[in-house]
Amino acid sequence: MERMKEFIRQLASQIIPSGYERNALPDLLRSLEDIADETHIDVLGNGIVKKAGHGPHVAISAHIDEPGVMVIHVEDNGYLRILSVGDLQPGRLIGRHVQFTGGSIGIVGVESEVRAENVTYDHLYVDLGCQTAAEANALTPIGTCGVALEPVVELEGDCLAGRALDNRAGCAAAIEAFRALAGEGRRVSLVLAAQSTVGARGAKTAAFALEPDVVFVIDAAPAGDMPKATRMELSLGQGPAIKILDGTIVIPLAMKDLLRKAADEMKINVQYEVWPNGKSDSGAYHLSQSGVLVGSISYPARYVGGISTVVNINDVQAVKDLVIAAAKAYQ
Amino acid sequence: MSVATVENHLETLKSMLQGHGGPGFEQDIAGIAESAFRTYTPDVQRDTLGNVIATVSGEGAGVRPRVMLSAHMDEIALVVTKVDKGGFLRVWQSGGFDARTLVGQEVIVHGHEQLHGIVGSKPPHLTTPEERSQAAPLTDLFIDVAMPEDRVRKLVDVGSRVTLYRQTMDLLNDRISGKALDNRTSVAVILECLKALKSYHHSADVLAVATVQEEVGVRGAQTAAYGLRPDIAIAIDVTFADMPGQAPDESYKIGKGPAVCFGPNIHPKVFKGLQATATQLRIPYQLELSQGPTGTDARAFQITQSGIASGLVGIAIRYMHTSVETGSYNDIVDCGRLLAGYVASINQASVEELSCY
Amino acid sequence: MLLKQLTEAMGPSGFEDEVRNLLREQLSDKVDHMYTDVLGNLFAEKHSDKTGPRVMLDAHMDEVGMMIVHAEDNGLLRFRPLGGIDPRVLVSKPVRIGSEKRYGVIGSKPIHLQTMEERKKPLRMDQLYIDIGAQSKDEALAHIQLGDVAVFATEYAEIGERAAKAKSFDDRVGCSIVAEAMERQWQIPVTGVFTVQEEIGLRGATAAAYRINPDIAIAVEGTVCFDVVDAPSHGQSTVLGKGPALTVQDGQTLADARFLEFLIATAEKHNIPWQLRRVKGGSNDFGAIHKVREGIVGGAISVPVRYIHAPAQIISLDDYQASLQLVCAAITEIQEGRWNA
Repeated sequence: MERMKEFIRQLASQIIPSGYERNALPDLLRSLEDIADETHIDVLGNGIVKKAGHGPHVAISAHIDEPGVMVIHVEDNGYLRILSVGDLQPGRLIGRHVQFTGGSIGIVGVESEVRAENVTYDHLYVDLGCQTAAEANALTPIGTCGVALEPVVELEGDCLAGRALDNRAGCAAAIEAFRALAGEGRRVSLVLAAQSTVGARGAKTAAFALEPDVVFVIDAAPAGDMPKATRMELSLGQGPAIKILDGTIVIPLAMKDLLRKAADEMKINVQYEVWPNGKSDSGAYHLSQSGVLVGSISYPARYVGGISTVVNINDVQAVKDLVIAAAKAYQ
Repeated sequence: MSVATVENHLETLKSMLQGHGGPGFEQDIAGIAESAFRTYTPDVQRDTLGNVIATVSGEGAGVRPRVMLSAHMDEIALVVTKVDKGGFLRVWQSGGFDARTLVGQEVIVHGHEQLHGIVGSKPPHLTTPEERSQAAPLTDLFIDVAMPEDRVRKLVDVGSRVTLYRQTMDLLNDRISGKALDNRTSVAVILECLKALKSYHHSADVLAVATVQEEVGVRGAQTAAYGLRPDIAIAIDVTFADMPGQAPDESYKIGKGPAVCFGPNIHPKVFKGLQATATQLRIPYQLELSQGPTGTDARAFQITQSGIASGLVGIAIRYMHTSVETGSYNDIVDCGRLLAGYVASINQASVEELSCY
Repeated sequence: MLLKQLTEAMGPSGFEDEVRNLLREQLSDKVDHMYTDVLGNLFAEKHSDKTGPRVMLDAHMDEVGMMIVHAEDNGLLRFRPLGGIDPRVLVSKPVRIGSEKRYGVIGSKPIHLQTMEERKKPLRMDQLYIDIGAQSKDEALAHIQLGDVAVFATEYAEIGERAAKAKSFDDRVGCSIVAEAMERQWQIPVTGVFTVQEEIGLRGATAAAYRINPDIAIAVEGTVCFDVVDAPSHGQSTVLGKGPALTVQDGQTLADARFLEFLIATAEKHNIPWQLRRVKGGSNDFGAIHKVREGIVGGAISVPVRYIHAPAQIISLDDYQASLQLVCAAITEIQEGRWNA
């Protein structure tokens, strides 16, 4: 568990807003060369790792990107104007620090005339401390991406809280599951999917290229075990969530049964995820070409969509175990 | 081959309407559709998503045109999001419901067993005047299966599906009313088409497809069209019958024949071909105009792979997405005859013309 | 002049025939092979026998327009939009309808008869009618058919200083630029693709890119420009006259940083002005193209258009020329091997 925890922390420390994956992936892919036959980054920025072997072609996918902000204008006096990359509510950013991919740090301010409920990105600016446009432009030219700074910390009960745990925790589980299956000589591919937060764009092209027999998608799903939370029957620490449906997919019943059986045999406690408006990469895989079988295994996370999420390491560990077991059970 | 099934697809339709199958759990309806298709061809397959695909071969050697006829067979459904205190079930929707139509509705909960349930409502004696002026959102509704909580928890999971319960009724003028006329009437249209096609010589192969998961975003149609890659793909889906207050171009008449769609989503030559067939066969039809991608399987077909010439026809029904959808079987027969006549008119030359603008 | 002819042609989404015919005529003896697909996309191929990366140049032929859907008893016509039209720009505008290009006007209740409340509220699409002068439903339907389409009746003219006004610069500027680029000789295979149905969901480009499966795709588009009085500097998107606009992010695309840098370097090298498109809303055909198959690399080059989607739009003729130069310079750089993915 300690190893998993450290791995997640290491992955979550990287700044990878959607569209920036190509810059962040090379080191990670290099670390998998010991077990993979082939690693590459495709047109959209997916990190793709392949291992030849026996059995059906199993793909394991976890998106590696996170929502963030993008510089879209530099004011004459050096303030930056920003847009979101992916779904990040503007109100959440006010007063917070953001860090850009070049390393610069700034604080997000808001025009004082606007009422809190009406805040849009048009009202926000970032203060880098610069005096002039030239200075700011040199550090963060238009198009530079950043994220809200919220480093990962440990909470009680084997929990972690912080930025980008959704979905670096899933990446950790996916990478470990890939290692385990590849190590057993199975035919397996790993997709560290790009551009998921802007609408499963990477998954779409990865699915087309790989044509797998089955895909297991690992992602966070919102927990509902907080006070007066939106209705969602997922609790932290209660084990992996077998996705029943989200806004992109209805999981085939046979797949749900396969996952349930694999969990029972491994004595892994599972929950069921019904997330009607949820977005994931699952649908993009399922609808690729003439249809691809997909199973989705989620780890519950609190405050999904917020800047900092909370996950339980034991859930992530169990997601990894369940994916391995399900991949082996699939014929 | 059962003669009764060939003769009377009204009975097939009624058994599909009484059956249950929402997005992603269409297997019971798929079974009925499959056995009905089998009365016309032994070649019936299912793809990864569960689309039922029946191939009725055309005549002649060499390359034959491939015409796909598709009707989605899923109905709007609910899904259990929580087993609440007392064993009452909370739900969300898979497909678009008007929550106001659910109050007092009987439903079937597809747990480990099928359970009959009622969508609960507060009696008027206990509601305040303010409450009466408000429609309850879906999240406030609950399903009562009338058994103790511990037994409910054994039988129902988060993720269990719920469908409407409604006995199909016969109304005046050969009209039928019930649930899931959207879009199983269109599966019946395909069956009536195959029946009518028996009296034609046709060179086109017909790919009759009952698709899945239309109600959650035209999903089955995408993978079916990709896998089959037909030359022409015609979606059959219901449209809106007239009601007071509806826009004139969204109000078609029940009993006045199928609606034939025209607009950017529809290949102009497919539209013209259907129009010409209707005129030739003296089948009444209604012009349906659309201005963008339609909310039907045709939306997916047109931009599958390098593009497929798409068409859209269907019958008009009232009260769409409720348990009392109402339509006419005569329209179904007319629509089937129209499609059969159109299919019979297709040859390889007409397929080649589809790329000529 | 091609741009004038193109902007004055009628081509709402799904009904691009007139634009397609103009382009076909313009290019017939200047490319190797032309054909259409089932959606009506027009493909113009050149040098397909040459080696090197296969480039797709994309411009969409369709414009926003209207479809006649119903005739009232008094002869007024109900319509619905084809593509995104703000109903507030419609009142008091003339349109041309159907293959005969019959004139119609979109009227409204005279101000004298409106209440104070009515004057403050914008009119909804379903409160507007097209008047062709017909006195009855029967008379109206004798001259037009339900399903006929209509576009704004705006003439092209050069106005002001190096500027032009017309309807449908989005995306007839792109069609004109791609046509001009296709008239030149190249050392690599280039296909000009004039697509349909961009305004209703990038539909033509989706199928076209699947068919062509190019190595590199460049969409040439007319894009939002709002550099006018009262607009804050971060809300302008683009500035008229400052050159072609390159996308960092829009509703459908996160720019491929490598290709964006390539386009910027190309512009700098060839002394072509350029700017970044500074808004997230909107999209262009590249948004569909890059997600096709295994993913297709490329980007968009956009000409700033003031009052896009409205009856009268404005472009800078300098921007037009600079955009054409940048498209051609990019192909030159590609054929000389300076684009390495």
